Amino acid sequence: MRPRLPVTIEQRLRRPRWLAVAVPVGSVIFAFLVAALVLVATGHGPVSTYRQLFDAAFVEKGSLDQTLIAATPLAFTGLAAAAAFRMKLYNIGAEGQMYMGAITGAAVGLYLGGRGGPSPFVIAAMVVAGGVGGMAWGLIPGILRAFFRTSEILTSLLLNYVAGLFLTYLIFDSESYWRQTKGFNATVFPTGKPLPPSAIWPGLSFNLQGGIVFPLGAGLAVLVAVLLWFLYSRTRFGFEAQVLGDSPRAARYAGIRVRRKILAVMAFSGAIAGLGGASQVGDFSHALDGDPNGLQLRGYGYTGIVVAALGRYNPFAVVVIAFLIGGLQNAGAALQGPSFPSGLVGVIQGIILFAALGGELLTRYRIRIHLRGGRRVSGRVPEAA
Amino acid sequence: MAQAAAPAIETIGITKRFPGTVANDRVDFSAVPGEVHALLGENGAGKTTLSNVLTGLYRPDEGEVRLFGEPVSFTCPRDAIDAGVCMVHQHFRLVERFTVAENLVLGDRRGAGRHFLIDPRAVEGQVRELGERYRLPVDSRARIWQLSVGEQQRVAILNALYQNARVLFLDEPTAVLTPDEADTLFETLRQMAAEGRTVIFISHKLHEVMAVSDRVTVLRDGRVVGTVKTSEATPQSLTALMVGHDLQTVTRVPAASVREETVLDVEDLWADGDRGVPAVKGVSLRVRAGEIVAIAGVAGNGQRELADSITGLRPHTRGEMRVGGAALKNGDPRAAFDAGVRYVPEDRLGTGVAPSLSIAWNLALRAYRHLSRGPLLRLRRMRTDAEQAIQAYDIKSSGPAMQAANLSGGNLQKLVIAREFSGAMKLLVAASPTRGLDVSAVETVHEHLLDAAATGGGVLLISEDLDEILALNDRVVVMYEGEVSEVEDRQSVEEIGLRMAGATPSESPEPADPAPSPSPTA
Amino acid sequence: MNNSLAVVLIASGVAYGTPLLFASLGELLAERSGVLNLGVEGMMLVGAVMGFWTVERVHATTAFTLVLALLIAALAGAVMAAILAFLVVTLRANQIVSGLALTIFAGAAGLSSYLGNNLNLADRPARHSFQAFLPNSMQNWPIVGPILFGQNALVYFSWVCVVVIALYLSRTRLGLNLRAVGESPAAADTMGINVTRYRYVHVLVGGAFAGLGGATITLAITPQWVSGITEGAGWIAIALVIFAFWRPELCLVGAYFFGALQALAPQLQARNISLGPTVLWANALPYLMTIAVLVVVSSGTTRRRLGAPAALGVAYVREEH
Repeated sequence: MRPRLPVTIEQRLRRPRWLAVAVPVGSVIFAFLVAALVLVATGHGPVSTYRQLFDAAFVEKGSLDQTLIAATPLAFTGLAAAAAFRMKLYNIGAEGQMYMGAITGAAVGLYLGGRGGPSPFVIAAMVVAGGVGGMAWGLIPGILRAFFRTSEILTSLLLNYVAGLFLTYLIFDSESYWRQTKGFNATVFPTGKPLPPSAIWPGLSFNLQGGIVFPLGAGLAVLVAVLLWFLYSRTRFGFEAQVLGDSPRAARYAGIRVRRKILAVMAFSGAIAGLGGASQVGDFSHALDGDPNGLQLRGYGYTGIVVAALGRYNPFAVVVIAFLIGGLQNAGAALQGPSFPSGLVGVIQGIILFAALGGELLTRYRIRIHLRGGRRVSGRVPEAA
Repeated sequence: MAQAAAPAIETIGITKRFPGTVANDRVDFSAVPGEVHALLGENGAGKTTLSNVLTGLYRPDEGEVRLFGEPVSFTCPRDAIDAGVCMVHQHFRLVERFTVAENLVLGDRRGAGRHFLIDPRAVEGQVRELGERYRLPVDSRARIWQLSVGEQQRVAILNALYQNARVLFLDEPTAVLTPDEADTLFETLRQMAAEGRTVIFISHKLHEVMAVSDRVTVLRDGRVVGTVKTSEATPQSLTALMVGHDLQTVTRVPAASVREETVLDVEDLWADGDRGVPAVKGVSLRVRAGEIVAIAGVAGNGQRELADSITGLRPHTRGEMRVGGAALKNGDPRAAFDAGVRYVPEDRLGTGVAPSLSIAWNLALRAYRHLSRGPLLRLRRMRTDAEQAIQAYDIKSSGPAMQAANLSGGNLQKLVIAREFSGAMKLLVAASPTRGLDVSAVETVHEHLLDAAATGGGVLLISEDLDEILALNDRVVVMYEGEVSEVEDRQSVEEIGLRMAGATPSESPEPADPAPSPSPTA
Repeated sequence: MNNSLAVVLIASGVAYGTPLLFASLGELLAERSGVLNLGVEGMMLVGAVMGFWTVERVHATTAFTLVLALLIAALAGAVMAAILAFLVVTLRANQIVSGLALTIFAGAAGLSSYLGNNLNLADRPARHSFQAFLPNSMQNWPIVGPILFGQNALVYFSWVCVVVIALYLSRTRLGLNLRAVGESPAAADTMGINVTRYRYVHVLVGGAFAGLGGATITLAITPQWVSGITEGAGWIAIALVIFAFWRPELCLVGAYFFGALQALAPQLQARNISLGPTVLWANALPYLMTIAVLVVVSSGTTRRRLGAPAALGVAYVREEH
């Protein structure tokens, strides 16, 4: 005989709207509380640590700048993930698609900028090239899924490695177009060829905090978010994508061309990530970063998935959360040192996500506790019958 | 039969509630050793719930279960199995990738499987012996996915026998069998009963209940309305118990609305099933405007594939299809819809509806292309259309924005019908449209089907429910193993049954028998 | 001959492949129970750091310390796995996102770094480490010497694990039950098998193996601790399980193949063989081959014979009581 728990989990009949916001917010609060316990246990004061984090993320001079730098790629990868995950296409390949976008974006920037094209043209071309590079890389798992029914989860994941190897190869193991071959440093430590000035992406300067720069990439990310929202809620494409994500058989019945949709969504998702890669090159590194300890270690692609999940795949929420998580990353990096516990950022992020995932259960199910004597006490606000 | 003997299994006052309904209401039931006992009732009457309570899947809210006079309380199916009470579910609980032997060993607590180290081959001898004894021959080394559905059922029953089941429940066992296989099953059941076991099978089909059971317990709306000896019952008396009143076998007046114009013309159609083997073999069919053509047949004879082909969900490999005179593009649901073909699929929630989308979006599921201006959706128009449809078809909901998954079965079907009946409908293909619905919902759906024919559309009704087929058809066609044969006497259950088993009536047909009779032997 | 490229590659392949082998064995067990564990990388890192910590802090004989370190590394991995198990088995959260969350939590920017840096474990070699221990005479035998006898105890232990797990899956009642849980939890449940318990146990054991794999790196291969020392080995282990068609003996083959590829570049360099794109192909090959295997395994006809456990990635919900 198996012992019976006095708790049952029943599926909810309707999902209350307020839970959709309450759960992520509650998870964040919960996460900070738990992390505080971890801090105390290891001899750091939680309040002072959090204060430091907040200051380093948003308050201190130049911090917003740095936060935007960390947040921009996260916004792209988050949107890329949201676009695909919404349709139950689990594109884990944003990381690799970002690398490919960086490669193609850098190539176009180097070439056209070197030929002396006007800056807006060069930059526009980089944007397009970045999108194309990411899209092509995203189409591979898309094709395998559409035509061979292979799980996109693992294929996109594996391709991340291939892209990373390719990226490193271009700078470290070959005399490629992307590699800086002039100058003394070139032989000592391989780096990417710097972009010509016309290929460097501009930013919008604000006179806040001693001057912050709002990178072009960040603006593009917001535009993409708007586009994504519009696409999914107002267009036929979005309608078809949502039906497909909900029920492939109903999609077929509706006459939706399933393969085409899969390819389109994977292409779109990859393009967004690729755009993020171009932004990395154009906004920040100004050269192709092939260092295995550079771009490849940041894990933007994976963190983007977390951002998307926390934002429940809503494009606007994703952008906001990317900003917040970017702040957290930035603070973690800035505070690195003997007095600040390194790795705390990952710990907090992880706990936030755990709490959000667990809280997800509450939106889908209701927990009932059975008291002795058969009376039932509901663990949540009872719904309208 | 041993009626005066002590019951093998009985329930006293079992009540089981679910949110919103009482599935079993103070049910007293008993079955004795050595009998085949049928649990009869409409869908939703409480038969499956009662069986689940008796086999440990559910716990009753009130009441007692007794096994051979001793009160028992099962907390899980394993407890019931250990006590000798086993259930063969409609969807077999078998592990597809395992062999037959491995499946048997899986639950084995007493025999070869109880050791730490196992060798499935040790079971082979027993499988063979049991198979011979009970007419359930199966290759113990075959993997479940390699077996036909009928063979898989044999494995499930073997499993129960291997566990030394003293009381065996079977849930709608003939739903997946041909009439021949059903007969063999009935012999197996009688043999098990003759050995002193208790066999209880759930059904909503009068013919088989009359054919094989010793006693019948009829359930309606969660209550027991009667337990009778089968020898003393007639189909009419049982129906009266099941439904609460004498069911008027509504026979359709044919030809009232049938016109000459051909709506659907299918010629020598061939289509493959999911496993790549032809499921539709050279079907030729005609439906005229205003006509209801019913396709009878046990599930699995190609009906699903035929319906899918006609509506474009499945490409056909050979043959021709014309709707309203024009050839249909092969395998294109969109083209079929635009040509006036409407489909009410048997799989409501899986195919007919996108569950987590709203009612309004579901209503637009087929016509959204026309409801959009270029790439953009016309959301307001979609909403007003939805409000109209909800009103017109009496879909009980909280509004167009409500999630489709929250609708009850009847209302879901109304949604599908509301959607499919829109626009210029030339041909309606309805597959098992009333499965799982309660009596009033069934009536509503039937009315809609009759409406469709009355307004000049052709209706192709695919159903396993003979009563439904008899009530609604202008013509009956029987599908068996991918082929169709026209029924000469559309009111003859005998002829239909014969053809469903693959036979044809030999010489002059017997006089039409108004009351349904037990299934004939081939 | 023992210094030829081939022999060195294979011997290194075995050495480098061992952490992959441990991690993939663990992942195999978890996946056989139906749970896709994407947190392997994080579990390995935590095992790596905790194993190293034990060796630094415990003052005892080498043998005792190392064994204790392994136990603690396994325990650490299991604790991480417990978080995942709770999320996906009890709370039925999405397995993919949960696994990623765990990797972020425990990974190179998370808990493992936190522990390593706070406990001051960086920048020093391990005080004890696993070395080859068989007599030199045996190690010098042609070909088999370096490959089979020149390995450390962890490698031999991993062989034992492969055999045990293979037998477990194919010959024991528990193994049969486990396979049922991963293929058809409903059937298993009906037969009285506690699906929840099997999933918990095997996810935790999987985490323990991952921890062991991580410790192999910090205690045998490097042997040192650096943040993020696994460098993606966890992800490779996940790919390995597919590459191995969910069979332990093929995990061994695959792990050594991947390990040899890892050793290829430095060996070529040491021999002054020009690199060029060969390196790229060599490094990318395992991933590309795994993708090819995936495509084959997912196609309709082979899916039934060779494919993943049918219930992989799907939370099990039993019917209402």
